[in-house]
Amino acid sequence: MPDDSRNGDLDKLPAGGADAHALRCADCARSDSLVTDLAPTSQLPIPAEAMAGFPDGVPHARRGARGVDRRTFMRNGLIGMASVYSASRLDWGSIWEAALAEAAEPMQKSIVCIFLNGGNDGLNAIVPVASDQFSAYQAARSNIARVIGPSSGTKVGTTVMPGTGGSLAFANPLVSGAGNNTDTKGFDTLYGDGSGGAGSDLAIFPAADYTPANRSHFESRDYWFAGAQQQLQTGWLGRWLDAYGSQANPLQAVSLDSSLSKQIRSTSAPVCAIENLGGARFQVPGVTTADANAEVGKLAAVAAGAGNDGLGRSRSIYGLTVDVSNRLTGLGAVTPGPGYPPNTDLSRKLQLAATLLGAGLGTRIVTIDWGSFDTHGGQVTAQDPQLSVLSRGLAAFKADLAARGIEDKVVTMVFSEFGRRIASNDSQGTDHGAGGMMLVSGSAVRGGLTGEHPGVKVDDDGDLVVKTDFRSVYQALIGEWLGGDPGAVLPGGPFPAIHRYDGGSALMK
Amino acid sequence: MSRLAYSANKRRKRKAKRAAAVPRRHRLSLPPSPSVDQTIDLGSMSPTMVDRLFWRAGFGPTLQDRTAWTGKPVKDAVAWLLGTPAGVSGTPGTNAGKPLDPTGDDTDLVLSWVDRMVRSTNPFPERLGFFWHRHFANSRMSVSPPQLLMQQNDLFRKYADLGANPNASFADLAHEVTINPSMLRFLTGEYNVKGAPNENYARELMELFGLGVTGPAGTPNYSEDDVKQLAKAFSGWQIDDSNPDAATSYFTPDRWYNGPKIVFGKFGNYKYADAVDLVLAHPSHPSFFVAKLWNEFVAAPPDAATLAKLTATYTGSGLKVKPLLEQILSDPALFASLTEPNMVKPPVVYVVGAMRSLAAGITDTTATDHLDSMGQLPYFPPTVAGWEGGLSWLNTNTALARFGFVATLLSQMTIDDTPGETAASAYDRAYAAIGQPWLAPGTQAAIHDFATRAGSGTSKLRKERQLMLRALMLAGPDAQVM
Repeated sequence: MPDDSRNGDLDKLPAGGADAHALRCADCARSDSLVTDLAPTSQLPIPAEAMAGFPDGVPHARRGARGVDRRTFMRNGLIGMASVYSASRLDWGSIWEAALAEAAEPMQKSIVCIFLNGGNDGLNAIVPVASDQFSAYQAARSNIARVIGPSSGTKVGTTVMPGTGGSLAFANPLVSGAGNNTDTKGFDTLYGDGSGGAGSDLAIFPAADYTPANRSHFESRDYWFAGAQQQLQTGWLGRWLDAYGSQANPLQAVSLDSSLSKQIRSTSAPVCAIENLGGARFQVPGVTTADANAEVGKLAAVAAGAGNDGLGRSRSIYGLTVDVSNRLTGLGAVTPGPGYPPNTDLSRKLQLAATLLGAGLGTRIVTIDWGSFDTHGGQVTAQDPQLSVLSRGLAAFKADLAARGIEDKVVTMVFSEFGRRIASNDSQGTDHGAGGMMLVSGSAVRGGLTGEHPGVKVDDDGDLVVKTDFRSVYQALIGEWLGGDPGAVLPGGPFPAIHRYDGGSALMK
Repeated sequence: MSRLAYSANKRRKRKAKRAAAVPRRHRLSLPPSPSVDQTIDLGSMSPTMVDRLFWRAGFGPTLQDRTAWTGKPVKDAVAWLLGTPAGVSGTPGTNAGKPLDPTGDDTDLVLSWVDRMVRSTNPFPERLGFFWHRHFANSRMSVSPPQLLMQQNDLFRKYADLGANPNASFADLAHEVTINPSMLRFLTGEYNVKGAPNENYARELMELFGLGVTGPAGTPNYSEDDVKQLAKAFSGWQIDDSNPDAATSYFTPDRWYNGPKIVFGKFGNYKYADAVDLVLAHPSHPSFFVAKLWNEFVAAPPDAATLAKLTATYTGSGLKVKPLLEQILSDPALFASLTEPNMVKPPVVYVVGAMRSLAAGITDTTATDHLDSMGQLPYFPPTVAGWEGGLSWLNTNTALARFGFVATLLSQMTIDDTPGETAASAYDRAYAAIGQPWLAPGTQAAIHDFATRAGSGTSKLRKERQLMLRALMLAGPDAQVM
């Protein structure tokens, strides 16, 4: 398989090579976080009822019953398709029977994983503002550095994080009501007073990673997805599902993408990818007086000759597409919650995640791949709007889940494949480094500074010193939240316990 | 199973309904269709046979192709396709009013190849060149600078332009590809150095490019040791891309593993060319390659006798591609299911074919946007194994993208208004404007039925009827097969 180990060399270029590097690394913007060597084993039609407050949309007498009446179940039509990846062949009828059975049970603890694609620069998100640290920070990256206090001119300001003794501050795009974030909720409201008590729901690891750093996007992502410092055929959550998940319900783990995230690649447990809910129609631009969808449906209904797989496939797929779009007519696809940043892919995916989780289908894992954080050049204008969307999006997501009555059952983890170098380059950007920002959010989470900030003392490679092994966080998420034995899922453990600013070691309240 | 079974059931119901609704006289009044001809006479092609050959070996027939080759022997047309040097005609494509800039913009990189396919005077070299890209799949996702991929594209064209290079052999291509800068970068051969062998290329050369994992009898073609040993023979090559427009690869003896290697049980101090030869001399290579090339053009796999005959031709010619292609493209199996095309068009073939049918050129990113949604963006294969293809091309998303592409193209074209035009004339005009492609009789009836139902009292109604007729003919389910 191709890899991108060239980046390791490129990053050692002198500063003068930064421009060339910035161009080259744009290649990496296309994500390889998805499993592309596996094709889905089947497509699972998702009934509209499933998203419309399921199981209330189904007669109660049928809950958990054997032999679900498919016609009743499908009476409002399909709302989308899931691409199912399964070791064994599953019939969709039996899948939905399994989902019905799940729906009758109380919701289990779930996790949403947001992958910041490209290598997020954590140092410009959580800024060391103690005086000695700040001067070193400013010296290392003067062309992109934050300023202390309110933003001034082109310089973005910072807001001190409570409970850190004044040593750390949020960059203002992350903070509500400041900078370019005008919403009333954001990182700061999630973080609260940082005590880990009620209302302090955001755990922050300023420098989580592994050592030694591998600066290849591809290999480093694979490590994070595998939960191991090597490339494995399964993801850490896929192995957790193999051990503790369902063998029948692919909706237990959903990648909101065109195919599967490597995080949930499993050996035996069925999982799935859902790119979108809601459908599209066959349309001809400029034609308003005839219904292309209806006419295509008539063409799809022409019978193909026996044994002609190609034409048969074409007509049946065209017919299916017409059916799906017809059935969706008049249905609201996804019920959006309020407060999401408008028109962003992250908002769309978080809304979809909230809808899925709220539907009670036994979904325990949702993966989201988002953003373009490979900021080799023009970092401030590229990263800050995304930080702002992330901050507002996380707060809106939490409120959305709360409105659905399931917020206490969901935690959200945010990570990236690596952090970036302490020193900026001549393109007002930063190159691949180590020690990135990792977050865990949710009212079940003991908020606050949960990992040490290493300060900006440049190590031999110009990187932040990694203070938290990323697998320590996975270990806590399994042990304290999802359930099960972390040692059975994460090779090479046990890993050091989490080290909170106040001396504690628990991730959850 | 569930989706298709479910859908087939719906289809049967709809079919029963529709059959009752379409009066028989509509079917009788249809224009003559090439699909009526069912005979396969290799000595004198029917229009349907011409269509079949030009879809499989190109991007569909032009009206001139159909006229010129009807009544002629298949072997003459195949000789023309395989013997006419590559060339382009017409105005070079543009993107938003600017000349394409393939080295500055990846979209333009893709557009420039699609443009070349659309404007090719002999489509076969572009079609075979694209096959080489699918076979030796390198992706822009990990190859930079883009010039390396363009250079590789030229290499593929050299081995696809059989008019200019009639003696092209897979062996020569495999030798060149092995030390091609793009391949050295994509499969990290440039990091293959003695003491730290990189097995990437050695493995793929056997698994994907030359042999397959197992042979015809199901036994492994190579061992993990063979991979390790072969990798040593490939060590020592690097890329000089200091001038991206003239990148070269070079061999540094000091980086080469200078020592004995054992590959397939044979012992020697092999270098890269020896290693390629060892793989090509493996007994599984000929049938592996012949079957893959066959599957590019023919829906059903070759039967044992055909495979044996083709393999003999291939090995007997010294692994040349032209004699092999002559036999594949003239085989009666290419013309199977003539009344009902049975292969799904790959997205690139569908897109280029539709543009050629409409005499449309590249002027914006419509083609690349939709190719991406259809799942086949040239220069961006999903893995080193290329695209899976076949029936997997079609799902509900790609069906919408396929229809949407042609509908978008059509909506950008000028359509004349013809007051007083009858439904039958409107049908005929639309059919002629899109190149008279194959449509099943039932499909013709359904489209004809639309023409009679559609309003025609105003200029707007007539134009929309014409637009819809063309879209149904060129973008519906029947247009997805060849």
